[in-house]
Amino acid sequence: MDQYLPILGLLLLGVLFASGSLVASAWLAPHKRPTDAKLAPYECGIVPESEPPQRFPVRFYLVAMIFVIFDIEVVFMYPFAVVFRQLHVFGLIEILTFSLTVFAALVFLVSEGALQWGPVKYLTPGMPERTSSSTIVRIGRDDPEQAA
Amino acid sequence: MNPLLALSDPLFDHGVTGVIILIVLIKIVVGFGALMNAVILMIWFERKAISDMQSRIGPQRWGPFGLLQTMADGLKLMGKEDLIPAEADRFVFKLAPFLVVIPAFITFAIVPIGGTMHIAGHVVQLQMANPPMGILLMLAMSGISVYGVMLAGWSSGSKYPLLSSVRASAQMISYEAALGMTIVIVILVTGSLTTHDIVLSQGGNILHWNLIRLGLVPFAIFLIAITAELNRPPFDVVEAESELVGGFHTEYSSFRFAIFFLAEFMNTITMSAVMVTLFFGGPAGWVPPVAHLKWIFPILWFLIKTTIFCFCYIWFRAALPRFRYDQLMDLGWKRLIPLSLGWMLIVAGFLISWRWGLLMGSVVIFAWLVLTRAFELGKTRESGPERVLPTIGQRPIPGSVIRKMSEGDS
Repeated sequence: MDQYLPILGLLLLGVLFASGSLVASAWLAPHKRPTDAKLAPYECGIVPESEPPQRFPVRFYLVAMIFVIFDIEVVFMYPFAVVFRQLHVFGLIEILTFSLTVFAALVFLVSEGALQWGPVKYLTPGMPERTSSSTIVRIGRDDPEQAA
Repeated sequence: MNPLLALSDPLFDHGVTGVIILIVLIKIVVGFGALMNAVILMIWFERKAISDMQSRIGPQRWGPFGLLQTMADGLKLMGKEDLIPAEADRFVFKLAPFLVVIPAFITFAIVPIGGTMHIAGHVVQLQMANPPMGILLMLAMSGISVYGVMLAGWSSGSKYPLLSSVRASAQMISYEAALGMTIVIVILVTGSLTTHDIVLSQGGNILHWNLIRLGLVPFAIFLIAITAELNRPPFDVVEAESELVGGFHTEYSSFRFAIFFLAEFMNTITMSAVMVTLFFGGPAGWVPPVAHLKWIFPILWFLIKTTIFCFCYIWFRAALPRFRYDQLMDLGWKRLIPLSLGWMLIVAGFLISWRWGLLMGSVVIFAWLVLTRAFELGKTRESGPERVLPTIGQRPIPGSVIRKMSEGDS
C-alpha cells in the first residue's frame, strides 16, 4: 500500500485546503442575521409557489439503470486489455462474444425507444398540398369573398 | 515480486524511510502549489481569451494584464456572507463542495509531468503518484465527483438546482461509458494501467503517439466525452442560464461557491493533462543536447501541450452553441458508445494480425447496419400510429376560415 502514500497525502492536503479556506471565509465574512427573503430558495426574485418536485421523468432512472450495464461492461474490459498480449486470439474471441451480448442489449434498448429523449412527437397526416396559390397572399387581388 | 508492483513507482521499492517521506511531501506540496497557480492562471486566461474573441477588454485592473484578477475575486468571495438556505439539508449542503474539490485535487496526482530524476540516490518520477491502478484512479475520482454534483443540487432544497443536478448526473454517467471504453483502447496497446507506462510506450517519434497509432477516432471520442464529463460548453446544459437559474450551485454563496468554481477549472486543467498523457505522449518531445538541463525540456513540452488543450476548451466556449439535452443524450448513447466499442474491437483485431483486423472491421460494419435498423424501429416506437393527430383545417389557415371562426365566437 506504500504506492498510495502520495494520494493519501494529497487527500489530507485537499481537505486541509478546503476546510482552511472555509474557516478563513467564516472569519472574514459578515455575520448578519439573514432575512427570510435571503433564506428562501432563489428563483430570480419570484416567490416560490410550489415545493421542489419529488418525482422525476422516468427516463432519468432508465439512464441510471442502463448505465449499470455499460459500466460493468467497461469494468470487465480493463483486465482483458491489460493481459491482451498474452491471451492473443483466445482473448479476442472471448471479448467479441462478450461485446456481442452487450451490443444485443444496446440494440434492444434502442429499438424499444428506451433511449429516446425530448418531447413526444406527434405526426399530422394528410397535410394539404402546399402550392404557390395556397401559401402566397397576393396583395391588391383580394378574392371577392374577402372584399365583401 | 508481484509483477503488477514492478510496474509502479520505484521510489517505494525498498520500504518507506524518512528521506522517501520527505521526497513525497515535497512532490505533493510542489504539485499542489503548481496546480493552484495553474487554476488561477487558467481562470484569468479564460476570461481574457473569451473577451478577446468577443471584442471586449476583459480583466485589466489588477496586476499586469489583470493577472491578479482571480486572486482579487477569491478574496472578495471570502469576505462574503456565507448563507445556508432555510430549506437546505445542512450537513449534505456543507459536505458537497468537499466531494467535488477533493477528487479534482487527487486526479492530478497521476499525471506524469516530466521524465525521471535522481535525488539522493533515489529514482524519482516527476509525477505525484504512480500507483499500479494508474488511470483507473481518474475514472474513480470522476465517479465520486458525480456524487458531489448530485448532492449539492439535492441538498439545496430548491427547484432549479435539483433539476440541474439530476441532469448533470445523467449526463456525466452517460458519457462515462464511452470515456472508459476509449481508455480501454489505449490500454490495449500499452498493456499496463499506469500512466508512466502509457507515456513511455509513446516515446520515440511522433508516429508512436496514441493519437496516430490508434487512428484519430479514440481521441475524438475522448475529447467529446471529457468535455461532456466536465460540463463545459458546448455540453453545459447543466448551467443553461436560460433554463436553470445557475446550475446546481445556485444556492451556494461565499467561498463554498468559490470551491465549486475552483474544482471546475481544476478539472479542466487535469483533463487536458490526462488527454496529453493518453494521446499525445505526455512529456515526450524533442530534447536538445544541453547538459544538466535535460530534465526541464519534457516539462516544457508537457506544459505546451496542456496549454493548447486548455485553450481548446476556451475556444469551444466562445465558438460553439449549446447542445439541446436530447441531442446530448443521443450523441452519448447512440453514437459514442457503439463507436468506441466497435473501434476497440477493430484495434484489438489489428493488434493480432491484419486478417483478424479486417474480420473485426466487417463484424463492426454488420453491427452498424443492425444498429441503424434498430434506430428506425426506435423512432417508430416514439411516434407510432397512435400518436398521429387528426388534421385541423388547412395550413396555413386561409383568411376566410379565420373570419368564420371569429364570427362564430361573437
